[in-house]
Amino acid sequence: MVITTYDGYDLQKTSLTILQVFVLGINFHPQKLVKKTLESFYSLGPQTSARIMAKYTIHPLARLGTLPVKTVTSLTAELSTMTIDNDARRIVQDNIKRLRDMGSYRGRRHAMGLPVRGQQTRNQIVTARKLNVLDRGGGDRIRGT
Amino acid sequence: MQPTRCLLKGRSVWKGPHIVPLPITRPVPGQRIKPIRTQARSATILPSFVGLHFQVHNGKIYNDVTITEDMVGHKLGEFSTTRKPFVWKK
Repeated sequence: MVITTYDGYDLQKTSLTILQVFVLGINFHPQKLVKKTLESFYSLGPQTSARIMAKYTIHPLARLGTLPVKTVTSLTAELSTMTIDNDARRIVQDNIKRLRDMGSYRGRRHAMGLPVRGQQTRNQIVTARKLNVLDRGGGDRIRGT
Repeated sequence: MQPTRCLLKGRSVWKGPHIVPLPITRPVPGQRIKPIRTQARSATILPSFVGLHFQVHNGKIYNDVTITEDMVGHKLGEFSTTRKPFVWKK
């Protein structure tokens, strides 16, 4: 009887042979969880990643190294049909830009990095400072490993 | 989205958009149209407003607003700021 573990011995064997796994042209470490790999793309959250993994019958705790190459390619094919990463980012940024170009109050608050929906600004506007910017969701995130 | 729904922006359908009777006159050719001076900040911008000039009250003065296509469905008051930016005393 063969017991398959998702993190442990036999993974180390596979990771010796596969050093990198390419999903959508980006290389990931084989020991990374598939869930985390999917969620590293902008616009994919817990729900979407769980749906995708269920579609290809991947265990929730599976790691990239344990997947057969066929599944990885089908994952890439699935992701390439979706609106993710820069395309998804651009949608959000365009919406904010439209508000700004109109000269509306909401657009102006985005440009100032202040709360948009009438919250108090005496204390605690950390989230607004972080999120309410014109290029929302910008910046590259560290991939792989 | 249905074309009429974009006027509502979250408002319930049976109410319809908030329509305020505004003194909008038909443009007479050869005559310059005066901007429409109003205090109705909560009036929804209708598709028929596009290209018109408004003067929207902000509580103190009337700000000039020219309606573009993007603004349809928003309120007039969104384009006339009521707040003064805070600056430290020198």
